[in-house]
Amino acid sequence: MTSMRRRKSLAISAGAAVAAVLLAACGGGATSSTGATSPTGGSTGGSTGGTTGNAVANAGVTGIANPSDHKGGTLTFASSSTPDSLDGGNEYYAWTLNFNRLYETPLLTYKSTTGGAGTQMVPGIATALGQVSPDGLTWTYHIKKGLKYEDGSAVTAGDVKYAVERTYDRGVLANGPSYFPQLLADPTYKGPYKDPNGDLTSITVPDPYTIQFHLVAPFPDFDYVVGAFGQTAPVPKAKDTGAKYELHPMSTGPYMFQSYQVNKQAVLVKNPNWTQNEDTEARQNVDKVILTLNVNADDIDNRLISGDLDVDSAGSGVQAAARAKVLGNPSLLRNSDNGFGNREWFIYLDSKVAPLTNVACRQAIEYAANKTDLQTAYGGPVAGGDIASTLLLPGMGGYSAFDLYNAKSQPTGDTTDAKKALTTCGQPNGFTTGLAYRSDRPKEVAGAQALQQALKAVGINVQLHGYPAGNYYGNFAGAPTFMHKNNIGIAFGGWAPDWPDGYGMMWALTSGNSIVPTGNANIGELNDPAVNKLFKDVANPKLTLDQRSAIYGQIDKLSMQQAVILPEVYAKVLIYRPPTLTNVYIDPAWGMYNYAVLGKSS
Amino acid sequence: MTVSVDPAAGHLEPEATATAPGAPIIQGRSLGQIAWRRLRRDKVAMAGGTFIAFLVVVSIIGPYFVQDPTVYHSSLIDPTFSRPIGPWGGISLAHPFGVEPITGRDMLARIVDGAPYSLLIGFLSTMLAVVIGVFFGIIAGYFGGWTDSVIARAMDVFLAFPLLVFAIALVGVIPNSAFGMSGNQLRVALLVFVIGFFAWPYMGRIIRGQVLSLREREFVDAARSIGARGPYILFRELLPNLVGPILVYATLLIPTNILFEAALDYLGVGLIPPTPSWGQMLSSAVSNGFYYIDPMFMIIPGLAIFITVMAFNLFGDGLRDAFDPRTR
Amino acid sequence: MITFIIRRLITAVFLLLVVSVITFAIFFLIPRLAGQNANELAAQYVGRNPTPAAIQQMVERLGLDQPLPVQYWHFLKGLVAGENYSAGPSVTYCPPPCFGYSFRSQLAVWPQMVSALPVTVSLALGAAILWLLGGVSIGVLSALRRGSIFDRFSMGVALAGVSLPIFFTGLISLELFSYKWPLFPNVQYVNIAVNPLLWARNLVLPWVTLAFLYAALYARLTRAGMLETMNEDYIRTARAKGLRERSVVVKHGLRAALTPILTIFGMDLGLLLGGAILTESTFSLPGLGQFTVLAIQNQDFPEIMGVVMLAAFFIVIANMLVDILYAAIDPRVRIS
Repeated sequence: MTSMRRRKSLAISAGAAVAAVLLAACGGGATSSTGATSPTGGSTGGSTGGTTGNAVANAGVTGIANPSDHKGGTLTFASSSTPDSLDGGNEYYAWTLNFNRLYETPLLTYKSTTGGAGTQMVPGIATALGQVSPDGLTWTYHIKKGLKYEDGSAVTAGDVKYAVERTYDRGVLANGPSYFPQLLADPTYKGPYKDPNGDLTSITVPDPYTIQFHLVAPFPDFDYVVGAFGQTAPVPKAKDTGAKYELHPMSTGPYMFQSYQVNKQAVLVKNPNWTQNEDTEARQNVDKVILTLNVNADDIDNRLISGDLDVDSAGSGVQAAARAKVLGNPSLLRNSDNGFGNREWFIYLDSKVAPLTNVACRQAIEYAANKTDLQTAYGGPVAGGDIASTLLLPGMGGYSAFDLYNAKSQPTGDTTDAKKALTTCGQPNGFTTGLAYRSDRPKEVAGAQALQQALKAVGINVQLHGYPAGNYYGNFAGAPTFMHKNNIGIAFGGWAPDWPDGYGMMWALTSGNSIVPTGNANIGELNDPAVNKLFKDVANPKLTLDQRSAIYGQIDKLSMQQAVILPEVYAKVLIYRPPTLTNVYIDPAWGMYNYAVLGKSS
Repeated sequence: MTVSVDPAAGHLEPEATATAPGAPIIQGRSLGQIAWRRLRRDKVAMAGGTFIAFLVVVSIIGPYFVQDPTVYHSSLIDPTFSRPIGPWGGISLAHPFGVEPITGRDMLARIVDGAPYSLLIGFLSTMLAVVIGVFFGIIAGYFGGWTDSVIARAMDVFLAFPLLVFAIALVGVIPNSAFGMSGNQLRVALLVFVIGFFAWPYMGRIIRGQVLSLREREFVDAARSIGARGPYILFRELLPNLVGPILVYATLLIPTNILFEAALDYLGVGLIPPTPSWGQMLSSAVSNGFYYIDPMFMIIPGLAIFITVMAFNLFGDGLRDAFDPRTR
Repeated sequence: MITFIIRRLITAVFLLLVVSVITFAIFFLIPRLAGQNANELAAQYVGRNPTPAAIQQMVERLGLDQPLPVQYWHFLKGLVAGENYSAGPSVTYCPPPCFGYSFRSQLAVWPQMVSALPVTVSLALGAAILWLLGGVSIGVLSALRRGSIFDRFSMGVALAGVSLPIFFTGLISLELFSYKWPLFPNVQYVNIAVNPLLWARNLVLPWVTLAFLYAALYARLTRAGMLETMNEDYIRTARAKGLRERSVVVKHGLRAALTPILTIFGMDLGLLLGGAILTESTFSLPGLGQFTVLAIQNQDFPEIMGVVMLAAFFIVIANMLVDILYAAIDPRVRIS
């Protein structure tokens, strides 16, 4: 019964992407069409149908909910955890990067709009997208003239260079991505704190309003590198306090810090030196922004519903208790959105751990897994996501809805094909292997047990090994030698692309060059010559966007054939927005509301 | 934690008239007989005791009579809400306690299979605390002087640790396999060690106080006068007289330790799934919001813990009254 | 008396030193004994992108490559004399008591604990008053009306109170009185200086939750103590002298029964952190308990060290005060 409905809605979902039409599968068919590559297409309402008879209104998925120009009021955010940092140079969480745009502006930024266009880069403090040299190695950006920090001092290209330089000190600013050391020519530079007289020579500043990046190899996605994170938001050297800079980053956005008590609360007020003309992607709608930290997750939901709070900053949706309240109450449902969370949850199958060294053994696991149980573990069709069968997320360039292991046609597991694959592998009676998961994540705990149970049916005996999330990638699942030594062939994981294209989604997961001794994200240890070659091809600066998308589609298929990743769900979020919150929509670039444009109606 | 510092249930009255060295043992027995007779008349305590006996039997043979607690019944779960289909947490003939949210695993089986772990950790950690506590308590009380000072300071050190902080942190620091053990074996050992090792000073203090008053009694002098040596006096003369308070406080320590294990589970440092544990069920009901969408999932393990702890407390109270009826 | 106090003070300092050594050993030595090296320890602080180069930089920054005694010496030195610390561009002096800097946020530990302390003190004091008043009066009444319906009922409730996990009662009360019947809506900590009324209103549920467990315990203890005292000879003598029952109970009975209760109270106040952890994480109060849970989740050793030491400090001080109080009342204690 359930699987029937699933299959139908997924078929529509696949069709939607191909036909470039945004559909709401249940509760009345097509509603609008806003963009060709919107990742928010698909079966949004279908999943709730039949249980409650109510569909999620999704005003913030299909368009902008409560559009308003009203000024004034206080916008309150709450987080159930601690942010990685509030310093743009030290952030990697999607929500802190999203929140960062309220007070820091990088060279480029995501366009603030609904639909697929929201994943495009547009100028932040730069005047235009990067100009790339014909050899693809030099990227030039010009900075808008007359830009000021909150204290009225001028923003220069040197500040942007300094901002990048300081991220090289990973002892002080540990959290950000490390694209710059990978792409630029001087990876051994230690940053301005340890090396005050040194210089990051691969970034040059020919004049105070021009900055150039010199790469070691062509990298067509470089605009994303400077725009998707906070690392190019300018930092005046005189004001840099290193680790303490997050207590008061110098604002170039619509708001600036009034106070920040670590682990407790940050209060932001209007930045008097910010002008709407220079920053088209953000708004200064309210007088004050308050971010409260470490609030109990269920408490956050209850406060949202009672109107004491405006936004759950993590943006991952309501908890199980509030889910039941929202889905069971039409008036709450009217103020809810159920969209894709720009993330995929999946399971790694390590191709270097026997007997998973044999591709047929990995395929046996792909077939045997009970995808419905895994989906339920992550929260079911509404709060968890749609059953996945690819690496690329729906709506990404190159995505096609192929299904190699019958995840959608036999979602409760295909034991027949699994047993065949086991025979091919030479292990007809099954085998034993370990499974790593994050023991402090209830969804992975449930998922791990679900997989263990499903694999038991085909004779594969799985031993569970739980590890803390804090060093999961540093010491355990992300350390290949650890996986080999402990005979752990299966590891739970997930990926939110660093930027929304095939490179951001798949390079770290499947490229042979991405395998590293610690912090490894290619836990399947796929080092396939064909895949590696395609990643090389795609860097050719002469390719068009469509040509590159086609290559990403090929990489997706090749990687899935190698069965190093067992996709679970394309994550979806069920978010409740209080009726007083204005200009609300799920931004496809973040998979959560766009914080830079929010306002209050009263 | 605090039960053990109860000053009211003080000393025993070993009706000391004996002169022969073997006599105190007989007296110990007769005291036990008196207490037993009193205990048997205490209906509430006996009810508690009966329940504990029942629980022990269930722990041993129960798992053979219930379903496999790891089998999923996805068809019984409403995937949108992750909760069991049907009222009362999916209670039916096949699943008399209903099924678990998300997985649909049989609750009766999980409660029954979880019982041995709660009891085992409660018993073993108490035993550890009692053994260490009694050993050091007797030595400190009997020898006095600098031995006493050293042990007393050691106990102070232990009492100065914020126990819960320490327990969570310690369990978190130890990797999945260490000291030649791995998985749940290591976890149980660790929980027993942490809980027991930090509870012993309470036991130690009480025993020390008892010994201090006992060692001045005539029968000890008598034993000494006929040439009995330290170890003999310690373990043949003093220990039998301590059986009463040890029994009482051990019984009252068990429920504290069971609750402690539940708290550790709540804070995320308990047993490894899919092993069922009451504390883990309760904590996942609490921390995943099931208390709202499927109250039975919280109520059933909550009641299991509550009734068990209550039974131990009732029995322990009765035991104390039986040995020292004044506080009744 | 003075020498006694000095002796106790020295013991207290010694105790804290031993606690610090043991705590340090547990967090820094045990992981190594269990086979983790400095790089593996550092890997957890490098965020989502723990490249080998980043890990190496973190090892150097946190000083994890130094021998353990040296690391301990730095900790001790910071505590007593302060320590110089580089936040990046400049070196700052961290004055004593310097508990070092968080491995994760790189911010000083001590100011964070200081700002969390008022929350926990607010919680602890209110709850302590509630449970002391509630527990003792119920205990006394029960003892005086031994066997009555009141006695049976209140002791039954008390027994239930000791048998319930504290996080359980907390959540139920939150769900019932904050959301279902919003008597205390939107529970969050408000500074007492900002709005004393709101401060008190928002703390009622946490107070009651925390006090419930302890009140039950104290009621049981008080009842037992009173029953024992009231059987003593001197009470009989007092009654025989013709004193009014009221003054027998209050002047003679209660005073004697309360002394041990006060001892336990001193110890419990110090041990309260355990209860605060569960209460604060249930009610989202940004106090020391929550600080502790976060520190442990993040494996942030300087923060864990700091909070363990602070809690140990309070426990030792509470015990010392009780000892000194006893010595003042009963001179025999001083000699032993």
